[in-house]
Amino acid sequence: MVAAELIVADLAFGLMLGCVFSVVAHGLNMIWGVVKVVNIAHGEFIMLGAYGAYFLNLFAGLTPLETAPVDAAIGLLVGYAFYYAFLHRELRNKETITLQSEMVTLAATFGLSLFISNLAIILFTGNPVGVNYSPGTLQFGYLHVPIAALYVAILSVLIITGTWLFLERTFIGSTIRAYAQDVTATELVGANPAKVASLATALGFAVTMAGGALLTVWIPVGINPLMGALYAPISFVIVVLGGPGKMWGSLVGGLTLGVVIDVVQAFTTVEIAYAAAFLILIPVLVFRPEGLLKR
Amino acid sequence: MIGKPGLTLYGLFIVMALLAAAALLLGVAVSSILVLLLIYAALAYSINFITGMIGYVDFGHVLFMAIGSYALATLVSYYGANPLLGVGLGALLGLVFALGIGLVILRFRGVYFAITTVVLVLAAYNIVLQFPQLGAGGEIIVNLKFQPLATYFTIWTIVLIEIVLTYYVNRSRIGFGIRAIKNEEDAASAVGVSPRTLKLTGYMLGGLFGGAGGAVYAWSISGVTAGPAFDFTFSLLMLAMIIIGGVGTSIGPLLGAVVVYIPSYFLLTTVAQAQPLMIGLLVIIMALFLPDGIVGLLRRSNEHLRLVLE
Amino acid sequence: MQPKPRKLATRTTAIIVIVIVALVVASSGGVYYYVNYVARPPCASATSGNIKVGFTISLTGTYNVEGGKSLAGIQAAASWINDNGGVTVNGKARNITLDYYDDQSSSTLVPQLYTKIITQDCAQFLLAPYSSALTGAAAPLAEQYNRVMLSHGGSSDTIWTHGYQNVFGVLSPASTYFKNAIDWLVANHHSGDKLAILHADDTFSTAASAAAAKYATDQGLHVVYNEKYSATTQDLSTQLIAANATGADDLLGGGHFDDGLRIVKQLTSVNWTPKFISLLVAVTEPEFQQQLGGAANLVTGPSQWETIVTYSPATAQAANIPWYGPNETQFVNYYSKQSNAGSPTYHSGEAGAAVVVLADAIQTANSTDTTNVRQAISNMHIMTFFGQFKVDATGKQSGHSMVLVQWQSGGLLVVAPDAVASGTVKYPYTGS
Repeated sequence: MVAAELIVADLAFGLMLGCVFSVVAHGLNMIWGVVKVVNIAHGEFIMLGAYGAYFLNLFAGLTPLETAPVDAAIGLLVGYAFYYAFLHRELRNKETITLQSEMVTLAATFGLSLFISNLAIILFTGNPVGVNYSPGTLQFGYLHVPIAALYVAILSVLIITGTWLFLERTFIGSTIRAYAQDVTATELVGANPAKVASLATALGFAVTMAGGALLTVWIPVGINPLMGALYAPISFVIVVLGGPGKMWGSLVGGLTLGVVIDVVQAFTTVEIAYAAAFLILIPVLVFRPEGLLKR
Repeated sequence: MIGKPGLTLYGLFIVMALLAAAALLLGVAVSSILVLLLIYAALAYSINFITGMIGYVDFGHVLFMAIGSYALATLVSYYGANPLLGVGLGALLGLVFALGIGLVILRFRGVYFAITTVVLVLAAYNIVLQFPQLGAGGEIIVNLKFQPLATYFTIWTIVLIEIVLTYYVNRSRIGFGIRAIKNEEDAASAVGVSPRTLKLTGYMLGGLFGGAGGAVYAWSISGVTAGPAFDFTFSLLMLAMIIIGGVGTSIGPLLGAVVVYIPSYFLLTTVAQAQPLMIGLLVIIMALFLPDGIVGLLRRSNEHLRLVLE
Repeated sequence: MQPKPRKLATRTTAIIVIVIVALVVASSGGVYYYVNYVARPPCASATSGNIKVGFTISLTGTYNVEGGKSLAGIQAAASWINDNGGVTVNGKARNITLDYYDDQSSSTLVPQLYTKIITQDCAQFLLAPYSSALTGAAAPLAEQYNRVMLSHGGSSDTIWTHGYQNVFGVLSPASTYFKNAIDWLVANHHSGDKLAILHADDTFSTAASAAAAKYATDQGLHVVYNEKYSATTQDLSTQLIAANATGADDLLGGGHFDDGLRIVKQLTSVNWTPKFISLLVAVTEPEFQQQLGGAANLVTGPSQWETIVTYSPATAQAANIPWYGPNETQFVNYYSKQSNAGSPTYHSGEAGAAVVVLADAIQTANSTDTTNVRQAISNMHIMTFFGQFKVDATGKQSGHSMVLVQWQSGGLLVVAPDAVASGTVKYPYTGS
């Protein structure tokens, strides 16, 4: 019989891990939901965000929490560049994304993923590195909670809430939401679809790279050029679980995944936990393809 | 088949004949380089069935390669079987798994299918780690006498079969159906073609030959280890090969294999990452500007080439 | 289509066919010429010239730390041998040349690189890569192309279960790694301790930990937690929490350098201080202490060799065993001349020892023929700066003994076995 304390501890860690997973997937969610494009190179941008945290820590002594906004700013620029380089041609003058465009962006971003990860190996070398950030632990009875993980979890939720507020409560946000629903209608109300789409993409990248920075807290020796290969699929599963385009979906998907991975470990092995977490995707797609969230 | 076999098929036969001659005449040094080229080509042709022809992007095709590798490795190291049986088993298991998996996931469209294939690879990797019989993270060694020619001609035969099959499918009525699916799946059913069967067949062929290729790969490196067996790099390279060569074509996969593999051999000892880097760049350019690959480009540039290249 | 294009098509087609065939024939002729006469002069026969030793080493990727140390050790040993008379075969002194490539810690690259090393670079002898996983990938090639291969960084016992005739290990096998630690626990009234074992799932770590679990149980310790993690697992918090929850007193395991670091770092974050920690590979690296600071203090680890353990010609004479190669001071001296080498760790020692043993075997066999040299290695029993060398019938090392080291106040001490110890084990671990 597995000890209750162990399950509670795993649950706590799972929730905190889940929050970070959520923010890491959130950028993908935003882009997928608005521009209807799946960025296969998503993992590589997470990796770049993580390296950002590493270098800023190495040269400027910044903690991952402080790096996140810097990475977000860089992400904005990168996002704009990405939109105009890859998406603009495919999306302009189109009402909805065609199968052809879908395949083109899939293939192009796949090539981008190969390109960025190998460029990173050449520039950064394949040696894994990490960021040292340990502000200590909090003790709740028998539960020892690392403060770093807690900060990062809180910050992740704040970021997701922030984007939700932005989309729901601001004018620009509602324009973006309008674009997501109907591109031509956006034009009718006078907004430039390219500007809207590029902004959404930029925001998505900003969140992604900030997420990469926050993720470093959980991988003390794990920042390496190929880490995208793990976090991209995790992000895909999260977005599908929550439903592409639904902002809170990232949190739902992320928490589900984090909890499944950590709690299932209490009963079986790590590998089965990961396998189970990934395989959840299939029944969801079969029975509830729009995601777990109600609306 | 529609029409007599064209220049393309004969051209491909000539290339295969040259590859056979090279192995027989130029010694082990050359055949050890070329055997990997043939393995890459076999895998490229296998992914061509599902992704090139039918248009369902399979990012997780390395799954079948791994299945084939494990099939051969376990059969040979536990039962001392002939490696050819291992290849057969690899192909068979690839087929069976493709059938089972395909029945469930081929209903997902486009992007969702692609993501699911990725997820399956990761899940399979984690599951394999659980079983000590499958090495559980360590290596299963295939301890066989060194038979470079046997390995070489096994994969050579596999590629030859794939070339003929690909060519035949492209030239047949089935080919029409497949191209219909690629362009607009609903229209295909209106024309009386069962998309479901075609998709499943394509996926199963991909699994069959992916498994066979994976088995020969394990034979050639004398073993299989979980991490490298499920390495996404292979999946991505297979995809890159057909995108660069020309999706769905008969020449494309072989051409793509040459473009992807030969430079990698020369860059192996200097900057080994330069090659995947260039491949990534090439894929980006191809996807955005030349979606038909090199073959497509050649066909569009010259009317005579268009009649000849497939 | 109309008749005219068809006629055109036939003629043009014929031209195209001829052009293509010509191109293909020309290029294959070119390739043949290039491969056989330009890129690779036919391998010179081994009666004169240098002795080429080929290998791959991990200069980048997961094993880059250990790989770098190993390479410097190999280079140091080779330089010393060349400066001290080289390798004498048939009365002629020949130098050792090294032919190596970076395998990037990838087992996919290893077979391709070794094929190149053997068939194109014409290496006569081979060293294995660093780590059991990569050694496992390289060993079949030694058999296929019939070259002697010395394993310096691959200790997993499974390497020697495949009937390889050409592969020999310089280092103590994985199954012996934790013996010293467990012996100490038992000898110091800690039998009855509860042991947690958390190890990486690669062949080496699994072999070492499985043997440890069995040996510990045989000696009366209780193994209450025994789990593995995959190489890609970045976060070990849940495992460490689970291990702690079983009430374990001591923690054994790890894998290579990265995971060793990770385990200690995350022990801090889950706030568990086992009383005794022993981790594979990582502990002996100076970087371990540099990166962990106080948390590294009192962590122990198994080591194949340390510079403080002195084997010398005198020790050899006392034990009636022939001695060959540099002594420890000379090795460290030559090591310091290698660029970016840092200070030598046991990875440097075992790699250097491989070169030394190979050189002695060639001299003893008085030949560079694979069969003669492997015969010599099978029969050898010598001592080098690294310790004793003697292999069993499968090629596995049986003469060499390991030590246990512990970080104490920023310095690494050898704490077991008593015969070679420079300090004693400090207990318990406090996390600072």
